[in-house]
Amino acid sequence: MKLLLLPALAVLAVFAAALTALFRWSLLEFVPGSLAPGAYTLANFKGVVAPQYLHAVWDTVILAALTTVLTLAASYPVAYALARTPSRRVRSALLVLTLAPFFTGAIVRTYAWVLVLGNTVITWPVPMLFTERGVLVGLIHFSMPTMILILAAALSHIDPAYERAAASLGARPVRVFWRVTLPLSMPGIVSGGLIVFAWTLSAFPTPELLGGGKVKMIANVVKDLGLDSFNWPGAAAFAMLALALTLALLAGAGRLAGGRVT
Amino acid sequence: MARTVVELRGCTREYGSVRAVEALDLAVLEGEFLSLLGPSGCGKTTTLNLIAGFVEPTAGRIVIDGEDVTGRPPHLRGLGVVFQSYALFPHLTVFENVAFGLRERRVAGAEIARRVTEALTLVRLEGRERQRPAQLSGGMQQRVALARALVYRPRVLLLDEPLAALDKRLREEMRDELRAIQRSVGITTVFVTHDQAEALGLSDRIAVMRGGRIEQLGAPREIYGRPATRFVADFIGASTMLRGRAVSGELVAVGGGVTLRVAAGRALTRGAEVELAIRPERVRLATESGDNVVEAEIDALVYQGAQTEVTAKLADGQRVRVFVTEPAPVPLAPGQRVRLHLAADAFMVIG
Amino acid sequence: MILRLAVLALLAFMTLPTVVVIAVSFNPTAILSFPPAGFSWRWYVNVLTYPQFQRAAWNSLVVTGGAVALALPIGTLAALALERARLPGRSLWAAALLSPLVVPGVAAGLGFLILAAALGLLRSRLVLIAAHVTLVLPFVVRSVWVSVRNLDPALERAAASLGASPRRVFFRVTLPLLRPGLFAALLFAVVVSVNEFVVSLFISNRVTEILPVAMFTYVVNYTDPTIAALSSLFIAATFLVIWLADHFLDLGRVFLQH
Repeated sequence: MKLLLLPALAVLAVFAAALTALFRWSLLEFVPGSLAPGAYTLANFKGVVAPQYLHAVWDTVILAALTTVLTLAASYPVAYALARTPSRRVRSALLVLTLAPFFTGAIVRTYAWVLVLGNTVITWPVPMLFTERGVLVGLIHFSMPTMILILAAALSHIDPAYERAAASLGARPVRVFWRVTLPLSMPGIVSGGLIVFAWTLSAFPTPELLGGGKVKMIANVVKDLGLDSFNWPGAAAFAMLALALTLALLAGAGRLAGGRVT
Repeated sequence: MARTVVELRGCTREYGSVRAVEALDLAVLEGEFLSLLGPSGCGKTTTLNLIAGFVEPTAGRIVIDGEDVTGRPPHLRGLGVVFQSYALFPHLTVFENVAFGLRERRVAGAEIARRVTEALTLVRLEGRERQRPAQLSGGMQQRVALARALVYRPRVLLLDEPLAALDKRLREEMRDELRAIQRSVGITTVFVTHDQAEALGLSDRIAVMRGGRIEQLGAPREIYGRPATRFVADFIGASTMLRGRAVSGELVAVGGGVTLRVAAGRALTRGAEVELAIRPERVRLATESGDNVVEAEIDALVYQGAQTEVTAKLADGQRVRVFVTEPAPVPLAPGQRVRLHLAADAFMVIG
Repeated sequence: MILRLAVLALLAFMTLPTVVVIAVSFNPTAILSFPPAGFSWRWYVNVLTYPQFQRAAWNSLVVTGGAVALALPIGTLAALALERARLPGRSLWAAALLSPLVVPGVAAGLGFLILAAALGLLRSRLVLIAAHVTLVLPFVVRSVWVSVRNLDPALERAAASLGASPRRVFFRVTLPLLRPGLFAALLFAVVVSVNEFVVSLFISNRVTEILPVAMFTYVVNYTDPTIAALSSLFIAATFLVIWLADHFLDLGRVFLQH
């Protein structure tokens, strides 16, 4: 029975090999003009904190934080409706609308925002496309389905009897939400927040297309260095940074949700 | 004349094509302990939810303390509810749980502390203020739920099968405590249960419900001793049902040449079809023939420790259930012929 | 009340881009305008006749087909092992199998690129398929595992007691009972693979690139509504697939566990 795991482990080994290659190259010296690297060095990681790149890292963190907070605020009402609606039809409709972007693919979703933000539909009072505002909108839109699902799952685990009890004790609906529902959904909020934050840190298509070269997040730097400059060691260092941050955040999320994350 | 505190007037509640409660009229008197008793699906919980305001009637009115509260949301009805699952807030301490209703009523801090302590003392849980519900046993949680519902002195207490989740011993213990607390506080109480022993032991009055309607409303002794319908006779305690035809004001022919004298407090109509019920504990084994003594053949025996439940067949095939206190006066075995005495005043005339 | 209005507004926000894309795809001219100044299928025709898209579509078919064909059996066996085998540290194995979900796309992409270069496999679709298998496997394992967990072992024991060999039990009892999980797994695998962009961007070139990468290249270089048309086709296919999945699987149960 245990042997049934072997093929899957083989696949994992391939994946591990790819990550090992990444790790190894982040420690190799970049030889400009050639794909063959030099000796082992920490220069790439020092490069990560160089001024022009530090700016990208900082921008990434800020954007990810803003995205997380705003996505939370926007997703909570939809998640609440999804978890509490008694009608199966409404629930199905909400689910389809929430899941559809998930399944449509990053390029399609991001391109759609290129159209909307690019003054074809509405003429915006301030420029949206190729600015951080535009990227933020795109990132929020990208993260909402995930957040909605996590929050809805957390909310659906809250026994409605608690809300009824609070009402019977004299709390009006807003108070019931504030004193009972919101605190009880906190684990979902925290784990959803951490997951969205982690994913947004490594976001690529959104800033690439909506940023138009002017907004750079960590993932864009990896692509620039790796595919445009052929600086694989440098790109690898940044990729390792993104990986480390993501792992740390998701480990935190996992512990807080007690291992029941999605 | 006791005052009516809760009144349901012609309440109907529909869910699609199903009528959970139909044209229900109920008046709950001040200070009484009223049980809503019935099998699942009879509408007892829906009735409770109508009073609490968790559910609105599709027709009819709900009046509490003379005020029409139909359509008013639950948080404005001033009632206390104990839920089957207790619904204690897991993220709050015992103190905060009990204080919840007081905080919603903007009671001052010092006063809250005093009243919470008083409520916890009433349910014998002093000293547990700082604990969380998860740290308490089922019985303790139930008492916290009770304290929480009583601390702000609501006008009515509603309990939805609060003892269902407890094991037998704990249930009996809590039953007595619940009754004692209700008596000492004197609060009008509506109690939902499917357990007839519970209802008989706790209530001032019982409303036996079936299919969304009240089949009979009365004191426990009346419900048990004078069931109004076959359903009530069947649901409360065990009964043997005998069919026959009245041949005079007090004689009923039940088939197989057997005639029984019935002294049920009213004269029967001659020629009418009659349904008689008799409790198994009122049927005795007889040694000699006589008035109201019938011959029967033992069909089945179920030993129950303190008694044996005997099912015996009469000449025309109708079956009689008898509780024979152990040790039995004669040895009992399937197929054995026995004589049964059915006392005339033990019969209940149904319908 | 207010909640309903807020939800409707948010749903509008979520679906606005989709609406715009579909509307623009029918625009008769290359200069984008909204509302569109007419109606035309020309961009759809363009999509279907553009050689790079045709090649990319073929690549997507091959890569996704290969990846799913490999990932489904591998993942199913793994799910069975995770649930049924006596494994020390089961949750660690599970975490390991689900770990690719956690790795940023650029990290995996660059890693695969470096690995492929080291193995001399830079121009091969094999690397693409291998990468897709690693990315798709966690979804397969998770979906099938849920089904395996709900599978009552008594059913398989009953079949054995009636005389069925382990192989027969597997094919006549186990697999059919795993159908919902397998269907969900297939669904996720196909959707994830078809839409996979970031990793594929790193390890493909003009010859081997799959559809999303081809779309990306096009968008970066041209501004006409061709991509809008292709996107609309994607959107239509997605909605159909999800509607089917919800109809047969009740997605509410899959995601919300009431």
